[in-house]
Amino acid sequence: MLIDALLLQLGYNATLVAIGATLLGISAGVTGTFLFLRKRALVSDAISHATLPGVCLAFILMASFGGDGRNLIGLLLGSALSATAGLWCLNWLTRNTRLAEDAAIGSVLSVFFGFGIVLLTVIQTMGVGRQAGLEGFLLGSTAGMLWADAMVIAVGGAVTLLLILLIRRPMTLVAFDPEYAAARGLPVSKIDMAMMGLVMAVTVVGLKIVGLILIVALLIIPAVTARFWTERSDHVVLLAGLAGGVSAYVGAALSASAPNLPTGPIIVLMSFALFMISLLFAPNRGVLAAILRHFKFQRRVHLRQGLLALAQGQPIYENLTLRLLRKGGLVRADGVATDKGKACAAKALRDEHRWAVVRSDQTHEAAAALYDGLRKIESVLTQDQIAEIDRRIGGPQEVPA
Amino acid sequence: MWIRQLALMGLMTVMSLPMVAVQARAEAPLKIVATTGMIADAARQIGGDLVTVRGLMGPGVDPHAYRQTRSDIVAMTRADLVLWHGLYLEAQMGDFFHDLARKRQVVAVAEGLPKDLLRSHDTYADKYDPHVWMTPVLWKLVVIEVQKALTEARPEAADVFAANAETHLAELDQLIAYGESVLVTVPDNNKVLVTAHDAFGYFGQSYGFEVLGIQGISTQSEAGLNRIGELVNLLVERQITAVFVESSVSDRSMRALIEGAAAQGHDVRVGGELFSDAMGADGTYEGTYIGMLDHNITTIGGALGADVPERGMAGKLSAGS
Amino acid sequence: MLDLACSDGRVKQGQTLEDSPLAIRGLTVSYGQKPAVFSVDMTVEAGKMTAIIGPNGAGKSTMLKAALGIVPPVSGQVQVFGKTLDAQRARIAYVPQRASVDWDFPTRVIDVVLMGLYRELGLLGRLRAKHRAKAIECLDRVGMGDFASRQIGQLSGGQQQRVFLARALAQGADLYLLDEPFAGVDAATEKAIITVLKSLRAAGKTVVVVHHDLATVAEYFDNVFLINTRKVAEGTVSEAFTSETLQAAYGGRLATAQVDKLALAMG
Repeated sequence: MLIDALLLQLGYNATLVAIGATLLGISAGVTGTFLFLRKRALVSDAISHATLPGVCLAFILMASFGGDGRNLIGLLLGSALSATAGLWCLNWLTRNTRLAEDAAIGSVLSVFFGFGIVLLTVIQTMGVGRQAGLEGFLLGSTAGMLWADAMVIAVGGAVTLLLILLIRRPMTLVAFDPEYAAARGLPVSKIDMAMMGLVMAVTVVGLKIVGLILIVALLIIPAVTARFWTERSDHVVLLAGLAGGVSAYVGAALSASAPNLPTGPIIVLMSFALFMISLLFAPNRGVLAAILRHFKFQRRVHLRQGLLALAQGQPIYENLTLRLLRKGGLVRADGVATDKGKACAAKALRDEHRWAVVRSDQTHEAAAALYDGLRKIESVLTQDQIAEIDRRIGGPQEVPA
Repeated sequence: MWIRQLALMGLMTVMSLPMVAVQARAEAPLKIVATTGMIADAARQIGGDLVTVRGLMGPGVDPHAYRQTRSDIVAMTRADLVLWHGLYLEAQMGDFFHDLARKRQVVAVAEGLPKDLLRSHDTYADKYDPHVWMTPVLWKLVVIEVQKALTEARPEAADVFAANAETHLAELDQLIAYGESVLVTVPDNNKVLVTAHDAFGYFGQSYGFEVLGIQGISTQSEAGLNRIGELVNLLVERQITAVFVESSVSDRSMRALIEGAAAQGHDVRVGGELFSDAMGADGTYEGTYIGMLDHNITTIGGALGADVPERGMAGKLSAGS
Repeated sequence: MLDLACSDGRVKQGQTLEDSPLAIRGLTVSYGQKPAVFSVDMTVEAGKMTAIIGPNGAGKSTMLKAALGIVPPVSGQVQVFGKTLDAQRARIAYVPQRASVDWDFPTRVIDVVLMGLYRELGLLGRLRAKHRAKAIECLDRVGMGDFASRQIGQLSGGQQQRVFLARALAQGADLYLLDEPFAGVDAATEKAIITVLKSLRAAGKTVVVVHHDLATVAEYFDNVFLINTRKVAEGTVSEAFTSETLQAAYGGRLATAQVDKLALAMG
């Protein structure tokens, strides 16, 4: 069943949701990366919660004028307007009061959302009829996904990505060094507003699929996931789009393959699964890699210290060192150095002397910066350079017996 | 001589005062608050002029999701009698009613129904499907419960209530007969009722229809994507051509169902809007229980190929219904 | 060609205001109600290296930032090469303090320098080999050419400072404004930076540095500008960097012996 779902064989509705969700996942991942880089991740949560009163007011307005209270364009317009109001309040609070940003975010989020809930209660007592369905905007309702909705998501997502392509450089610069950006004449606050506007667009477009409570996850988790895999910001953006798209696709497929699986939350769980995998297994920044690195490092340190101790005739106290030396065939069972061990120890000592020369010499600054006690000098200097240094420090020294 | 006449008149006046007082008190209408529109309607039918009924859930309101407002609570704490449905229909209000029952007279009118007549709940093993108003056969029993509650609240009017109840029950019998006569003419392979949520179970039971809902018994359950796919395949397989939207539930899922069937080349249309958990607009015929069921039966029958009078049982349905 | 009179009415001798790379008049900046910089005038001499000095919290960085429009001033006029600031942005290069940046940001050394070329590249311009080459060239000038692919968090403080300078060089500006570039850096970095700055001066560029180390002022700079919320003194090192002006700027914070030592060094 799952395979069928992944291959889009489960029918029109499932396919529509999967494709719509994927488009949303990609745009949310890309947009959210800039939020993440700018350290404004939680502002997206405030924005999404601020959409609720707008949706309700739009419904009330449309229904009072005799129209269909649940016209999607109208509701999304309403959500965008109240999200803008929320953003404006946030900016005003941080700029004009002594409130720190996180407190301002909390206030705006809860006040707007609370107001929205009150409006939901008011709506249910209106004799207008057909109001059920607005609560679907809280957690998403993909069962009701129509072709028109998928179009809205596709167009919204495409426009968002296009705009991001256009202003990616200013946004990156503002995120990295806003003072320098201001000095360059970039309108920092306008660029921030543009970024927030894009976040709002993604939020509004995503209300139907994952709902306003969960859209923040779709914006932030892919960016955090991508961060584990690369040190280049443009790659983070691309990987985040990929992570968002994949988790949305798989999540939508999964929710279509078995009964009683809500799409929005499943997508978020998929996103989180990708995050956990990255956290644990990413080659440089992952936890497992760090643990392995630590053990490897520990072994290398012990080995080197052991060799240096041998070279200088000092006794070795640590068991781990002796064990490693024995395993490497550098030392006999009784702690006496073998021939191989003596040779390695002599080299180790010589390398230390070579390094000392390198580190005191200005011309080898780049190489010197790489010294960490373990690095092989051959990986940093050419043979000629090493020969030159050898000339300065004289021949190799005998290892004491 | 005239002093004695005066004294006699005075005495009679004084002695009649208590009777006047009793009359006056008995004439203040019984204040009733009911949750669903259907219960409110039953209370009005039985109570007539002797009661004022305030219904909390108006047309188009979903009782599975209803949250009581402050003015609701105030009304209920001042009412002489509070009627709610029970059977987990207003699950989210259950605790509130149990608390309220300590201070006022609160009756769950559907709780007393014999359990062997009820369908079991799809999610909770020990609960039942609460949509008992969908078949007048069961609703008659609820009406009797309402009559009992009213009588207990105002025993002096027991006779009036009994007479009204009898009239109403007779009307319900008419409704039952109408339903049976109409729906029996639906071709057998058309006897499938596809709706937004599983509210029509009892209806299906009464009239031999298979009932399929996108959502389960409660609208609070998620309409799963998987369910939509399942239903689309069913619609195509069984060549079902008409589905139904509900007045108190979003119609988006139904539209998605129709689009899904269309993608497979099978045309499905909306047979009509049904009143599932709420009645029609206040003041209209569809805003009464009988009107609601009349509308449902006529719409369903008409859409699925039965011979139906256009304006329903008594010609009272609004045109274009 | 505005006539920007000083707040005390004088116009600086020997230099028309039109060609001063940076002319500030009546600049006041405050945080809340407390002024950090109050009614400050400054006229930077073209083609020279000027040091802005003063005690901690004297408003040195604030003044620079306000002049660049990074923080909003309460009042003041700024002219760059005779025109408004916004018209001349392309001719100004700013090197901020190291602490203002998150060094865990996912970007490499070369990416930072390429940011200096963003104006040239525009929004959609493709990054070509010639841009990379220019970036490497700037990195080489500061001695960081071998570090191009490193993530910036892996660098030492001095190396980070040099990368910022390389970014400024990539802009090809005429006026360079640096905020405490020598603070907390190693000797090699200090030497590298001052060499670059001197080569800029030799090429006719103007350099303004917020400087923290009084001992090196005479050695590195041509002009000084002393500030302690208000302007204290402005002029060449021999004119304005005297024990009187230093005492006035630093109040009681400089021991007389220190000042004498400095004056002797200038002697």
